[in-house]
Amino acid sequence: MRVIVRTVSELCVTIGTVIVLFVVYVLFWTGVKADRAMDSQIDQLQDQWARRPVAAQGSGRDADAAPPEPAAYPDGKPFAVMYIPRFGFTWNKPVLQGTATNTLKKGLGHYARTAKLGQKGNFAVAGHRRTYGDPFKDFPELRPGDAVVLTDGTTWFTYRIDKKPYRTLPADIGVIDPVPRKSGYREPGRYLTLTTCEPEWGHSHRLIAWAHLDATQPVEAGKPEALRR
Amino acid sequence: MYGWIWRHLPGNAWVKALLSLLLALAVVYVLFQYVFPWAEPLLPFNDVTVDGQ
Repeated sequence: MRVIVRTVSELCVTIGTVIVLFVVYVLFWTGVKADRAMDSQIDQLQDQWARRPVAAQGSGRDADAAPPEPAAYPDGKPFAVMYIPRFGFTWNKPVLQGTATNTLKKGLGHYARTAKLGQKGNFAVAGHRRTYGDPFKDFPELRPGDAVVLTDGTTWFTYRIDKKPYRTLPADIGVIDPVPRKSGYREPGRYLTLTTCEPEWGHSHRLIAWAHLDATQPVEAGKPEALRR
Repeated sequence: MYGWIWRHLPGNAWVKALLSLLLALAVVYVLFQYVFPWAEPLLPFNDVTVDGQ
């Protein structure tokens, strides 16, 4: 009898310890891992951009011309860096191709079937709100006029948020259409959509933010206005 | 359970304590490296897209 009671209580203590360890893993360790992964993705991008010949880009292109169509993005690889000053001036995250679970552990994920960065259509990006570095933790703080700045190594793209974040259901894929439904946009244009989960720790809904392309400039022209303090 | 492990560890009390510590660390390592990464996607925090992928 005593042996049974002892074994059962030892098991309970063990399970409790494992649960506490799991909470530590989810809340803390995924963040440590994600920060490391995101830094390495950004390093990888910067290496890639540094190796690219300078002469090939920006020469003879007039300022108003649309940026050239980028090459296809390889799945699961980073291709841009996003800056959102509203989330803090040091906030910058890599954008990777695809929205697979493993891809989203290393940065933000670009919906593969949506438009490319800066092109006509809707450039849609998903990110974690909680866990894995909490990239979109402050998502509800986004307000109309906030800048979302991206760079692909040759061009700075400044998008401007047009509406407060919109709450919708997970199946509402119309929000990443070329002309997103419910966004208030009527004509085709160069749009950006950000998606994350809602509520903060749940998955019953999604939060959506829409922006339109406001300005582009070649990287040689320096940082865009929105990123200057 | 723990008493059984303690009795089956070799050496004197100090060696046993050291071995238990190593065993506990090994268990934590396996949990963090293999078990939790498997279990974590079953939680809702990964659902951040609108197309249910």
